[in-house]
Amino acid sequence: MAETRTFQVSMSPHFGSPHSTRRVMFDVVIALLPALLGAVWLFGLRGALLPVVVGVAAAVAAEFVCLRLMKRDTSAALDGSAIVTGILLAYNLPPGVPWWLPVLGSAFAIVVGKQVFGGLGSNLVNPALLGRAFLMASFPVLMTAGWSAPFEWRNAAAGFETHGMPASVVSEMPVADAVTGATPLRAWKDSFGMESHDGQAVREGLTDPGTLMNLLTGRRGGCLGETSIILLLLGALYLFVRKVLDWRIPFSYLGSVALFGWILGGPGFFDGSAVFSVLSGGVILGGFFMATDMVTTPVTHAGRLVFGLGAGLLTVVIRRWGGYPEGCSYSILLMNLATPLIDRFTKPRMFGEVRKHA
Amino acid sequence: MTKLRTFPGGVHPDEYKELAGKAAIRRIKAPETVRVALCQHLGAPSKPVVAKGDKVVRGQEIGSQNGYVSLPTHSPVTGTVAGLEEMPLPHRRSGLAVVIETDSEDGPPPFEPWPDFTSRTPAEIIERIRLAGICGMGGASFPTHVKLSPPDGKRIDTLILNGAECEPYLTADHRLMVERTADVVLGMKIMAFVLGVERCAVGIEENKPDAIAALSGAGVDVEVLKVKYPQGSEKQLIKAITGREVPVGGLPLDIGVVVPNVGTAAAVAQAVRDGEPSIRRIVTVSGAGVRAPGNFDAAVGTPFHDLIAEAGGYAGDVCRLLSGGPMMGIAQFTDAVPVTKGTSGIVALTTAEARKLTEGPCIKCGRCVDACPMKLLPCLIAANAEKEKWDRAEELGALNCMACGTCSFVCPSDRFLVHYIKRAQDAIRAAKRSKEA
Repeated sequence: MAETRTFQVSMSPHFGSPHSTRRVMFDVVIALLPALLGAVWLFGLRGALLPVVVGVAAAVAAEFVCLRLMKRDTSAALDGSAIVTGILLAYNLPPGVPWWLPVLGSAFAIVVGKQVFGGLGSNLVNPALLGRAFLMASFPVLMTAGWSAPFEWRNAAAGFETHGMPASVVSEMPVADAVTGATPLRAWKDSFGMESHDGQAVREGLTDPGTLMNLLTGRRGGCLGETSIILLLLGALYLFVRKVLDWRIPFSYLGSVALFGWILGGPGFFDGSAVFSVLSGGVILGGFFMATDMVTTPVTHAGRLVFGLGAGLLTVVIRRWGGYPEGCSYSILLMNLATPLIDRFTKPRMFGEVRKHA
Repeated sequence: MTKLRTFPGGVHPDEYKELAGKAAIRRIKAPETVRVALCQHLGAPSKPVVAKGDKVVRGQEIGSQNGYVSLPTHSPVTGTVAGLEEMPLPHRRSGLAVVIETDSEDGPPPFEPWPDFTSRTPAEIIERIRLAGICGMGGASFPTHVKLSPPDGKRIDTLILNGAECEPYLTADHRLMVERTADVVLGMKIMAFVLGVERCAVGIEENKPDAIAALSGAGVDVEVLKVKYPQGSEKQLIKAITGREVPVGGLPLDIGVVVPNVGTAAAVAQAVRDGEPSIRRIVTVSGAGVRAPGNFDAAVGTPFHDLIAEAGGYAGDVCRLLSGGPMMGIAQFTDAVPVTKGTSGIVALTTAEARKLTEGPCIKCGRCVDACPMKLLPCLIAANAEKEKWDRAEELGALNCMACGTCSFVCPSDRFLVHYIKRAQDAIRAAKRSKEA
């Protein structure tokens, strides 16, 4: 008779797939890198690379300190999730901000946005967006004024001193905005405070093909990581190929921004611009990289569609009637808070479940 | 080629069927000592009817049926009872087994062979299946005579033989269909006759072309299934082939379907045609942890280590030994456990293959939601179970989970989702029982 041996016991299954959370996070990091190259091309090393580098360093450091204080495994600081938070926070800052702004924002994002809730997987809202909201509330001038124009860093802004907009548009803007906050979304918002004829001219200037092309290629004023739309889409494509990204949130969100941007984005009903709504501001960055943060968005398929739809509507409402020209980040934060409720009301029909008719 | 049939959800783990898939079934001798468990089937264990020192002959009843959902247990050998022993068993922590010293494995058929089953009545055949101690050979081990006796008012119109064998590594059903085609076909005909069904089919995954050819060649309606786990789950198989869904909390017979395993069909054929009780089965022994994977026709009561020895012994750094496949199989503490009627395979996993035992936090990526064949939200059920919010877990359908392991398989954080959900199931059922009491 053969000798008896003993073995490890554990719950089934005894097999796993090669997916790992680390791989998911680093895929997101890889997908965000093309847009960083775009940002450096537009805003220079000081304007774009420095905030990202110090933002990431601060996020990882803050994560490490928190884990250390809580006597948890500090290697989790390098699981990639803090790196993603640091990059996204920096991408949501105006180019060329002082170095301490991303440091403060990242640290707040990690400590208050994530670790106080229990770390990865337990946070209620997107940490990077919470960090941005904190900076917006604390340093409104730094966060909304002083946008550097594309190529300003190499004194080659020829043609882009107007932040990608026709000169006629900028000349109509209130002086303070034209000098310090000249983004297309600010111009769009200002247009509603003008004589109706002038406002109409501004909106026409913003939606002419030349301006839209500048929006698409990133040659316009905006946050440092949000303007390189083509490169952001390239990163998103990579995430789709790697099956990290589910199509439901990005498509419902962008579709919702386009639809409601057209319906509600203009002075009356149905005279907004769907194309301008999607290409301006941060909705491409937000739709593919922030509204899709897995931890803070629904897990159900229907819930993801509801999330995107709701965030899109809120984005347009804030842009049109809110206090800020851009509503992307607040719309996502608000929908993050609604996520547990959305999951609860969008539970899918179970296999074999016969729903009772009311 | 017609479109492959399948169900929504599921995953496709590496199959590893090539390890044992080509190895012909090898009949091995019963060991000097067999340990025959009295609770090999689902339901009440058999009552022991032999004592130490008794002589028994092959096929003799050593445990009697104990209630309707129960079965008799037979001795696989002629020999002497050495005693009754409480011992670890592959499918439960421990149970009573009859220990028999083997003299021989020869002897006349324990029951009268019926070469022509059509001259018998369905009731006679069901009685034979019961007396032969036949239970489902696919894993759950539900007594077959109960499955073939639908309650009054339930009409069965379809019989589906389960030849999907979707667990990685396992090839016992595959080899059976190829090498003992006639037994499978006869068993199907007998069960169709007993149930009086209009439609019979065998569901086989596409990765077993020789089995598909063998059964098609025998004139059987073969439904070719997509290779996907858990295609061999009863509910998913019925959905794939008939489009019908077993209602929540219901049974296949509620929608007119009965699904026995191909191994069960062969056992039925042997009981009716040859007068043989259920005392042997085909066991796949595979995994990177054995030298020469193969398929063995072994007596129940044969210890796992004997079968490992037949497969050339352990190879490499074996950390886990499974009864069954890697998705739903049960990790064994010791290889001294005996083969039972439900032991479809023994898989030895090396450290490199076996799933890690450390888990990370849930990042709510939703992969488990996409993959769950029962359309549950495994991550949310598990999160509630972890906090012991049993009522919330129940609202989310925890009781509907069949523990197929698909969710844990795809989880990037290697979470023990099945473990949490099973804990919730136990707690919910316990609460229900104490409420009723």
